[in-house]
Amino acid sequence: MGCGTSSRKAAMGKTEKTIKAAILIQRWYRRYKARLEARRKATWCIFQSIEYAGEQDQFKLYNFFNSMVEQFSQDEQQNALLKVFGENQQRSLVATMSPFDLRKEEETLRLADPSKIPVDPRYDGPVLQFPINKTQIKNLITAFKANKVIHEHYLLDLLHHARTYLMKLPNINRVSTLLTKQVTICGDIHGQLNDLFVIIHKNGLPSDDNPYIFNGDFVDRGNNSIEVITLLLTFLLDPSCKVYLNRGNHEDHAMNIRYGFTKEVMRKYKEHAAKVIAMFNEIFCSLPLATIVDQKVLVVHGGISEHVDLRLIETIDRKKYVSILRPPAFEAGLGNPKQAMKMKDLEEWQQIVDILWSDPRAANGMVFNTFRGGGCYFGPDVTQRVLAKHSLQLLIRSHQCKEDGYEYTHGGKVLTVFSASNYYEEESNKGAYVKLMRQKSTDDMPICHVVQYIAQTKPGRRFTITERTSYLESSAVSSVKERIIANRSALTAKFAEFDPAGTGIISSKQWFKAMESVMGIDVPWRILKPKLVSSEGQNVLYETTFQDKRLGYKNEEQIGEPSVTESLYRNKEILETIFRAFDKDNSGHLSMAEFSEACQLLVKHANITLTQNQIRDIATSLDLNKDGMIDFNEFLEAFRIVDTETQEMREKLNSFEIDELKRDKKKSIFSRCFGGRWSNSLY
Amino acid sequence: MSANAENDNDNKKKDNADSIVAEIQKKITDAFDIFDHESNKTVDVREVGTIIRSLNCCPSEAELHDMLAEIEEEEPTGYIRFEKFLPMMTKVLLERRYKPYPEDQILKAFQVLDIESKGYLTLEELSKCMTEDGEPFTQEELEEMISAAVDPDKKVVLYKDYPPMLAVEDT
Repeated sequence: MGCGTSSRKAAMGKTEKTIKAAILIQRWYRRYKARLEARRKATWCIFQSIEYAGEQDQFKLYNFFNSMVEQFSQDEQQNALLKVFGENQQRSLVATMSPFDLRKEEETLRLADPSKIPVDPRYDGPVLQFPINKTQIKNLITAFKANKVIHEHYLLDLLHHARTYLMKLPNINRVSTLLTKQVTICGDIHGQLNDLFVIIHKNGLPSDDNPYIFNGDFVDRGNNSIEVITLLLTFLLDPSCKVYLNRGNHEDHAMNIRYGFTKEVMRKYKEHAAKVIAMFNEIFCSLPLATIVDQKVLVVHGGISEHVDLRLIETIDRKKYVSILRPPAFEAGLGNPKQAMKMKDLEEWQQIVDILWSDPRAANGMVFNTFRGGGCYFGPDVTQRVLAKHSLQLLIRSHQCKEDGYEYTHGGKVLTVFSASNYYEEESNKGAYVKLMRQKSTDDMPICHVVQYIAQTKPGRRFTITERTSYLESSAVSSVKERIIANRSALTAKFAEFDPAGTGIISSKQWFKAMESVMGIDVPWRILKPKLVSSEGQNVLYETTFQDKRLGYKNEEQIGEPSVTESLYRNKEILETIFRAFDKDNSGHLSMAEFSEACQLLVKHANITLTQNQIRDIATSLDLNKDGMIDFNEFLEAFRIVDTETQEMREKLNSFEIDELKRDKKKSIFSRCFGGRWSNSLY
Repeated sequence: MSANAENDNDNKKKDNADSIVAEIQKKITDAFDIFDHESNKTVDVREVGTIIRSLNCCPSEAELHDMLAEIEEEEPTGYIRFEKFLPMMTKVLLERRYKPYPEDQILKAFQVLDIESKGYLTLEELSKCMTEDGEPFTQEELEEMISAAVDPDKKVVLYKDYPPMLAVEDT
């Protein structure tokens, strides 16, 4: 209450104290925020690193298939090969437009005839009739929002119509904004239907005045690839819509068998899955490869390389490339001996790989993209030259997840746009699309309006940054842990090197060294350390590196030998891919016949001798529920059971041990026969 | 102790010091690399503050400004180069400058703001202090802080629980 000098002084003192306190809290909070931000970025590095490592595996695996196929074709045993790989796989593996394949295509179209598939009168899902119109599209959206699955009859009918339409399109779409004044460009959607809904909700349905370019990677990873691609194709076929589709690196059967689309089709279409998959392969290789807007802006899925020549790309017979993971190197062996022809094919193939798989980089020049296994990294100088060569001003590409959904690089000459929000994990990234606005003067650079969003998957309150970061981080750490367990033996050996006395303790520095040298993924180990291993001061109790409750991993394996669990983790994705490749009728099961044909092929390639009887023994031992079929779980289980098999079984199998695998005594049949082979060729 | 042994000891000390510097520099490299989006050993100048703070330093905005001035190019490019950042940051960490305050100090600071000693701060009180006093928060910073601090039922900040909640485990 007092109003004398002393109380004013006290008030002053108080204010000063308050300010000091405020500063203290602000500094402390800012440090906290910064550390959180660093953790979030670190998490981002992990997701990306692991994603690219997976793609790299897939490329290598495919190269392995290819060399196998090549060997067979040289042996003039095509028939054996074609018997092993199913109808669909044949076209992706031996994808050339030889008369043989033409026949196959006709066969595919005949088999996938929708008029032969009746629709149950009780069916209450979406219905399509041609020509497509807006009402049908709206009904389709309503049905998909209610989680309805489109009947295979309508889906196949749509695919036939879409194929006919796509076949007429050139390799490079040309779009003019003279009338519409703008065009919307969307990046990867990856089966995330909610993101497509958000885009349509914010930006309106495509129409004559509202054109869209969808820049590839419509399918894989997300759970609604069917719905996403169905919607995009109906847009494409609606005569009142202006929609352009570019092929992405996931519009490729060889990617689909690893990244989920094939599985989704099998889950949704059961006995008709094979036809649906075959038709999708037809659609994918009919998709245009690029779009040019107003002769100024190049829109492609991946990017460019020094060699990219759009005139050459325009002349390619794109239908040949059912899978882009396959170099056309073995064509000669398949009855096309003209060397010149082969060179031309190789050049064409390289062009397609470059535009579908490449990423920009900051430094000048160009290097092979070793992280992804395909395509290249192109520098700003490459962008400059290639754009200038074609009198273009801007490159819009997708293919890489960005935290903000978009990113400018190369001094604004390259714009990445990625439309799948929450791609790695809930809250990991925004999605975005770009509205390219026409300028008054045609000489001006078009203006890009970027729109960002996050598709709400679950209703509820927004997380705080702290919660989001912790959640993302734990998910990323789990992925790293999985990889650690997959590399357990190599890590253990490295730790032992640093700890010859076997104390169980090494220095942090040594631990980092071990992780960096063995793991082969580029993640910030120093930041992750507290999440991965227990420490004592500056030292690390390295055995705790392998503890992970989430995976239920037991510490019972003998140290020093590659364990079964380890092989299983390391090879699961690869085995799944192999499994799908052998499953020629896409039934989700391998018949005994499919399995033994596959074995023979693999065995032949790996120079192992294996008699018919032995193959039958393995197959029978795999068929755990004795239904005469091997499903994927049984296939995986092979790793475990065979490991505990008796000496008798082992002796039986002695004959197919090969030298390089002999030291791995404890490995299962599969890791011996196949897994070992994969490991050696892949890691 | 013989001269030799002493020498040995000196060498050991030197080795030890070298390895401490090496470890600190690795830490700095890792933190820097996370923000080096283009992998060309540069980072956006706007993110340098975050990098420094993520290395467990609590400089004031003014101090941060001085640090930036020290490492910025003569003709500012908007980017900071690693070769300039590393020696500056090594020195800061070796000298243990801008060390964070312990938790109890933070708690005391909250108590100073809580003039009536209620044991909590209302959202208004906290917002006012944080955006008007000291080195004011941006609206974004404020909202983030409040979203994590506020008690969802009582709509006040029970600051006693706050510092431990936001404690960052030491790496």
